[in-house]
Amino acid sequence: MSAGTTLPPGVVRDPGFPTQSENYLTNSKGVLSWIFTLDHKRIGVMYLVGVSLSFLLGGLLALALRWHLVDPDGALFSNAIYNQVFTLHGAIMVFLFIIPSIPAALGNFLVPVMLGAKDVAFPRLNLSSFYLWIFGAIFFVLALCGSGLDTGWTFYTPYSTTTDTSVIMATLGAFILGFSSIFTGLNFIVTINTMRPPGMTWFRMPLFLWATYATSIIQVLATPVLGITLLLLIAERTMQIGIFNPEFNGDPVTYQHFFWFYSHPAVYIMILPAFGIISEIISVHSHKHIFGYRFIAYSSIAIALLGFLVWGHHMFTAGMSDMTTIIFSALTFTVSIPSAIKVFNWLATMYKGSISLTTPMCYAISFIFLFTIGGLTGLHLGTLATDQHLHDTYFVVAHFHYVMVGGTLVAFLGGLFHWWPKMFGRMYNEAGGRVSAFLVFLGFNLTFLPQFVLGSRGMPRRYATYDPEFAFLHTMSTHGATLLGVGLLVALIVLLMSLINGRRAVANPWGGATLEWNCTSPPPFYNFERAPVVGDPYDFHDIEWDAENERYVTIEPERKLAPETKPVDTPAHAGGQN
Amino acid sequence: MLPAAFSLLADYTEDYAWFPDSASTFSEEVDSLYNWITGIGLFFFVIVIFALFYFAVKYRKAKGQKAESQVSHNTPLELAWSVIPSIFLVGMFIFGAKVYLDMRTVPDGSYGVGVQAFKWGWTMDYGKGTYHPELHLLLNEPTKLTMQSSDVIHSLYVPAFRAKKDVVPGRYNYMWFEPTVATPKVSDEELAAALKEVEESGGSWDQAAYDKYQFTPDGYKFYDLYCAEYCGENHSEMQTVVVVHETREDLDAWIKKYSSRGDDVSLEAYGEKLYNRRGCSSCHSIDGSQRVGPSYKDAYGSMRALANGSEVLVDENYLRESIIDPKAKIAAGYAPVMPSYKGQLSDDDIDSLIAYIKSLSEAGQ
Repeated sequence: MSAGTTLPPGVVRDPGFPTQSENYLTNSKGVLSWIFTLDHKRIGVMYLVGVSLSFLLGGLLALALRWHLVDPDGALFSNAIYNQVFTLHGAIMVFLFIIPSIPAALGNFLVPVMLGAKDVAFPRLNLSSFYLWIFGAIFFVLALCGSGLDTGWTFYTPYSTTTDTSVIMATLGAFILGFSSIFTGLNFIVTINTMRPPGMTWFRMPLFLWATYATSIIQVLATPVLGITLLLLIAERTMQIGIFNPEFNGDPVTYQHFFWFYSHPAVYIMILPAFGIISEIISVHSHKHIFGYRFIAYSSIAIALLGFLVWGHHMFTAGMSDMTTIIFSALTFTVSIPSAIKVFNWLATMYKGSISLTTPMCYAISFIFLFTIGGLTGLHLGTLATDQHLHDTYFVVAHFHYVMVGGTLVAFLGGLFHWWPKMFGRMYNEAGGRVSAFLVFLGFNLTFLPQFVLGSRGMPRRYATYDPEFAFLHTMSTHGATLLGVGLLVALIVLLMSLINGRRAVANPWGGATLEWNCTSPPPFYNFERAPVVGDPYDFHDIEWDAENERYVTIEPERKLAPETKPVDTPAHAGGQN
Repeated sequence: MLPAAFSLLADYTEDYAWFPDSASTFSEEVDSLYNWITGIGLFFFVIVIFALFYFAVKYRKAKGQKAESQVSHNTPLELAWSVIPSIFLVGMFIFGAKVYLDMRTVPDGSYGVGVQAFKWGWTMDYGKGTYHPELHLLLNEPTKLTMQSSDVIHSLYVPAFRAKKDVVPGRYNYMWFEPTVATPKVSDEELAAALKEVEESGGSWDQAAYDKYQFTPDGYKFYDLYCAEYCGENHSEMQTVVVVHETREDLDAWIKKYSSRGDDVSLEAYGEKLYNRRGCSSCHSIDGSQRVGPSYKDAYGSMRALANGSEVLVDENYLRESIIDPKAKIAAGYAPVMPSYKGQLSDDDIDSLIAYIKSLSEAGQ
């Protein structure tokens, strides 16, 4: 490879482009080569298609909900249908999109490559968790649609038990999906523990791996509780053991405790990987060492552990004892600190950096803006007095959409744009990408900012019809949702167009220092011939822009053989070295 | 924050309003805490967003230019931004918990009202057999609500009071508040005109009428009362109103008006009132259309198929049993979801309802 004219002296390291037979996308052909693949990259791509389809479905349902709400009396559905649609929207988005989106789709692709490994620790388990996901997804959607379940994605008893058995089927579906999640988590924990290359100590791991590791711990520890809940529900229905059902001296609030003991940590399954992605994007596109590496890494673990202790804040108005309520409020505040630390660290990383406003960076900036709002409005809800007013209103709806959509979805899109060249070997249209980031940002704010006001004014959530005085803000929100939909559509078109007419991607288009940028785009099926050299994942000193070839390359100091010169042929005692 | 004058508009607030009416002792505390948290949040938000955009513009550089600095940590700085925000959090927690404890500590001698929540309506129990879906309170009088649910979890929410509590089946939950702003009465002419209009259109004073006129059929302006915990099909219609009377005499007069049938009211007419007032109408139609329960139209005197395969003649005894013990004989095709009204309706009330149901059927007339 020839070096560009402006490059400093040294040896240019760049893996070039993969051949057809090396490229993991083309090295084997046919449907069967995908169905039975053990390649983590192909499994990641299949997950990506799966979660994107789920997101499309959930998103269309969301649009339908919004358009229903332009009219105070409801424009599209009957009350019963509206309830089924919001249940489907929530359940699909939570269980089929947000939970698997980053860990399963991007994580599967990236974890081994970032580790310089050839695959995850258990490739067959990996494939089986994908099929479990497919099976669970179909089962879950059929269970929801088949019985017209209208309990909301939380399945609260006794409403959910008075209808029919469908709540057991739906929880069973969530449980199968949970197993897929447990398997993936287990796989990642073992992979990260055992397959790091020589030289990659824990504190030389990219932060995306730290986030994935923390997420995997939650997946493995919290998901079984969902299984316990399911067993208790079945026991309650078949044997009337009297845990959840007040008719048999049970307490419906107990169900909420069980449910949220899983589902609150699940919220961190959704957001922690997003933190990991943003840490990568901010550092790479600022071309500057991430600020406060250890604080970010520790805060991921802190969030994972504290996240297990705050489930009670979903029940601040349910009638828990005052003492319990106050303790949960205090614990809830502690979990906000690690999140705040991360935001400050990202800003400090940008300070005095060399920022490229690429599409991923635009999404990352959008993330920081939206997530900060999401985080700060959590304070109103963690504070007991204000929560009594805001609980179960649109304020809560707006808050968690700011975290889950403004946070996780935007980070997922940012990550997708960041690693798209690596995954598919094609560059997308930068202008188009930035337009999509801007539209998503604008549409999202227009959708959910009015909902904070709606909630403060007392509009309860999950209402199919509402009082006419709320109509103005609802209409605003609906138009925002449409704009958000357009933005997402633009993002999809930009990405798909790149597959058709995108420029061929170089190995390191952004100037990243983590290992995935050291192999070709897309990576060969074996990732790396041998475990690569591992340094600081955020050391950008040796990474230079090669303007001639429009790529970033690693410059290594010229290595010299020692001794430099050939030894003389004749030894000194024989009269040599004159 | 809204001035009290806005309450003249009843529950209708302007499009730009941030809060609903402020009408209880809690609402001021909650609003000021809310504003305080929002202020602190805005302070940090402005710093973060300023830094975000300023850095993005200032340090934007052409590709290939090196960053000005590669500083990777600064422990004192990081400790500072971990600890300083925590101080604000402690403040929020303490003030929030303090006001919360006030909300949970009912003053002695509070005026008590019982609340029965069911799919999809409310029945307020004023004692001595007086039940009504509207919640009527006395100005500046601490009021304790003792709440129970007939079926699933509901949540009683009065935005104007900033008060909310779930109503959980199998236990009594309680809440209290002290209204500080009375809801005025409209003029008699206005009320008479509205009543006439409703009567001419052949309907009863339903949710639409409350929304349209913004006062109750007795002419009081009101605050909204919502169900805030999702409870099924008509969750969004599980609303009623809160009226705050200025004097005890006024409240007592209102309670007396609804305490019993009165000598000059016929059984059928009172039965119709109970049908609307006690929640029958949310599940049973009077025009033959199918709702959660069987329609009253032409029910009396007909043979009804039951879920266990047998048939029963719909007569006075069957109707009475179905009100007091609804799960004894379940009509085929319907779920056993009706709550029992045992102890909640007097014999005269039940007679009135039966008379009303009879009047809706050819066989009964």
